[in-house]
Amino acid sequence: MDPRLIEELAAAKAAQLDDARPGVVATVHQAGRLTARERVGELLDPGTEVEYGSIAALDRTTGAWVAEAGGVDYIGTVDGQTVITSSTDFTDRGGGYGAGRLERLFALAQEHRWPLVLFVDGGGSRARHPRVGLGHLELNGPFGRYQLFDGVAELSGWVPTVAVVSGPSFAGHASLAGFSDFVIATGGSSIGMGGPPMVEAALGLALSASELAGVEMHEMTGGIDLLVDDEHQAIAAARRYLSYWRDEPSGPAGPGAEAIAELVTDRAGADGPYDMVPVLEALVDQGSLFGLRPQFARSVITAFARIDGRSVGILASQPGVDDGAIDEQAATKAARFVELCDAYELPIVAVIDTPGCITRFTGDDGTPQIQPGINRWHTRAVMAHHHRTVPLFAVQVGRGGGLGPAVLGGMTGGRSTPVLWAAWPSTDIGTGDGFAAVRNQHAYDDVIAPADTRQRISRLLARLPRQLDRAAKKHPIDTW
Amino acid sequence: MDAELLTQITDARDRALAATAARNRIERLVDPGSFVEYGVLAGESSDPDDDAPADALVAGVGRVHGHPVTVASYDTTVRHGTQTDRNMRKLVRLLYLASRHRWPFVVFVDGDGARPGHPWVVPPIVVYNRGRFDVYEGLAELSGWAPTIAVISGRTLDGNAGLALLCDFVVATAGSTVGSRGSDGTIYTRPVEALAADGSVDLIVDDEAHAIDTVADYLAYWGDGFGTDEPSPTHGLIADIIPVDRRHPYDVRRVIEALADAGTVLELGERWAPSMVTALATLGGRPIGMMANQPLSPVAGAIDSPAADKAARFVELCDAYELPIVSLVDNPGYMVGPDAERGGIARHHARPLAALHHRTVPLCSVQLRKAYGLGPFAMSGWGASRLMPELRLAWPSVESGGMSLEGAAFLVKRKEIRAAGSPEEARAIRDSYAKEMRDPASGVSAGRTFSFDDVILPGETRERIIALLEAIPRVFPAAKKHPIDPR
Repeated sequence: MDPRLIEELAAAKAAQLDDARPGVVATVHQAGRLTARERVGELLDPGTEVEYGSIAALDRTTGAWVAEAGGVDYIGTVDGQTVITSSTDFTDRGGGYGAGRLERLFALAQEHRWPLVLFVDGGGSRARHPRVGLGHLELNGPFGRYQLFDGVAELSGWVPTVAVVSGPSFAGHASLAGFSDFVIATGGSSIGMGGPPMVEAALGLALSASELAGVEMHEMTGGIDLLVDDEHQAIAAARRYLSYWRDEPSGPAGPGAEAIAELVTDRAGADGPYDMVPVLEALVDQGSLFGLRPQFARSVITAFARIDGRSVGILASQPGVDDGAIDEQAATKAARFVELCDAYELPIVAVIDTPGCITRFTGDDGTPQIQPGINRWHTRAVMAHHHRTVPLFAVQVGRGGGLGPAVLGGMTGGRSTPVLWAAWPSTDIGTGDGFAAVRNQHAYDDVIAPADTRQRISRLLARLPRQLDRAAKKHPIDTW
Repeated sequence: MDAELLTQITDARDRALAATAARNRIERLVDPGSFVEYGVLAGESSDPDDDAPADALVAGVGRVHGHPVTVASYDTTVRHGTQTDRNMRKLVRLLYLASRHRWPFVVFVDGDGARPGHPWVVPPIVVYNRGRFDVYEGLAELSGWAPTIAVISGRTLDGNAGLALLCDFVVATAGSTVGSRGSDGTIYTRPVEALAADGSVDLIVDDEAHAIDTVADYLAYWGDGFGTDEPSPTHGLIADIIPVDRRHPYDVRRVIEALADAGTVLELGERWAPSMVTALATLGGRPIGMMANQPLSPVAGAIDSPAADKAARFVELCDAYELPIVSLVDNPGYMVGPDAERGGIARHHARPLAALHHRTVPLCSVQLRKAYGLGPFAMSGWGASRLMPELRLAWPSVESGGMSLEGAAFLVKRKEIRAAGSPEEARAIRDSYAKEMRDPASGVSAGRTFSFDDVILPGETRERIIALLEAIPRVFPAAKKHPIDPR
């Protein structure tokens, strides 16, 4: 072969590396951020990276190779698990989607059931993206099996899809994040469907990205799953999230396991409502509790954890917030979590102490109102429980009023019947309330001592092997 | 046989027939003479003189438009329509039959929840279902398999309300209430109008007679339609609905009405998410679902979180019922701005896209006018490899682009527009550039660039879709595809 061809290729590849653009790298670092290649490098196990489209893409207008396609795409491993990962590069004209290559990678992820980690910051379609002007029916056709968003939709519920947002992420970039099962954001970032210039053009509002769609707001309203300080923490969180896709040996019982009964205090007593988090920590392997959407709808706790090494989902009341009552947002948080656990074959441990469901609305006088009651957001969770096939262990540690136990643990008379429906001696069955006829409450498999709970669940888990080897996905995971 | 035994039965049955409120509703709904009652003698107690006719719930199997349905009604004149172990077991029987034979389930739910002071048998490990499911499980199982329909007419509390909120379709009479009994016994209710505004009730009608007629209509879409394929009297004027001024709003319900067979449109969820209109109808006699952006809405047809939720749920409903979807597209994209972001549009926006992606029913989209940004994706499934719409049409008024022409012009010419001497001058700069920016997937050139399967005259739309649907017969798969998400 003509050696000049080899040299030309080597030069083209070298031009893509961070070493070739020290000025840009310095600017990125000054902002406390990582370059696209640094992000991927930190995520993937060393020596496993295989890059796709390293010198893409073709500028369709001129036919010339352009310097950068706005991002990097890789296959590699994370803690030994094969993953697909891609990062936009916001320093390159705002960061492309990696369109063309992502579609290719989505097909590989679908075929081989490889998890997906996307770093998506950028402003959507570039102003002069070659696709603009084609009326959104893509004339080039898909490369691989998918276009862009249908690929993430197809992967949802089949493999874990993780999005990391560090910086402003708007329009198509935000959409990719919004489709993902698990969205991690760094402080000061923003995620929105329309960026500041579009909002100024459309609504006449001049706002910064953070004022418009800051992730600190999303942390409270459920738009993201986890807020962290910086990209190192974000990558560590992505790594940790993926670790629950596997079962692996993990630490002994958490602190307080022996004295777990003392953590559940009498609400009417001097201590007031207790915090459920220490109870959960005492129930699971030490250091394994990983909260999802921790600041959103806080009266329900959703978390991943391990019990004797088995990955489980934790769905629990938080009596410390709203007395543990389940509002619309808490109900939808529970419903989505049930779908997530079901898709990933994570058995669910429901820890229940709730007075029931509440509904929030704006009163006639314009003030926020709360009253007991349910609507379709609540029944969503009942529906999700009925259709799950993963085992569920329900532990009632206190009250179980109204539809509350069904939102957290499902019903007890059909497909969603828990493997174990246990009660602690502190269970308050109360009097038959307005749901008594349909909820079949008081039907416990056993009343158990709090300190026996962990072992009881662990032994049953040993009888229920994880079924990750199924041939087709069960269902997507609702983005809300 | 001992005559006294026969008399005991007939006496007991006569007493049970006193639950007339429930019986009258059912008689009005079902085809005459078709109702077979289950548990007519089941009372509150086993006492021969029991004074709770039918234990407050009349239940059985009947036919509507000749098709079998299971139907039940609480009777608030008996124990306030409260729920007991026994009357729940009647519902379980119906749900079992409905599930086994893929029959619709209709329930009139008004009542006060669990019966106070009713002696519950509560030893451990007793489960009150005597069939395959308990009631809520049965409703969840039926969701997406056969229609589940609730009528709220009167006060509906707790467990009765839960029945309604697990159903696919909830119709309520004006002034009815839904609520819960607090732990101190206080009753908290909200008007059904408030639930309708939140998407938890699909339709409000004036009275019970209308509610029953609506249920019968709704069942016709599950069945064979209304036996008519007459075009709407307004069909001939369909092109005139689109205003000459491309920025002028119009009511997309008029397009739905003009396209559908005469008198067959039933709008669902008209009181929430006003920027998305969803309706059942028939087209050439074939039951279909129609979803449409509403330019007349306060957000001019933009897709906000409630609109995205509404569209997603509707797509799931149509997919489950094997109703082809006709999507009428005229939107400026997803809603933007701080309120929309706070409302979670960055996550909710994906719901209709995912629902469209996972559908198997045919989809025809008709772009009436504009669709910018991700707007066309939300309404038609985007141009994905295996999930393209079966037919993607546009009218000559079609406009496409990454964002509105005026918005794009503002972005590019911001400095000049701000420096303009007068608002008129600013507008002139903007409009001039907007004209220059006009996307080739607009007007006739949208057909030239094959951005759509065809650009057609509005009056041709109906026949095109009918012709395609005739090629794709309605086939009910042997197993349920998925439930219908309540929200």
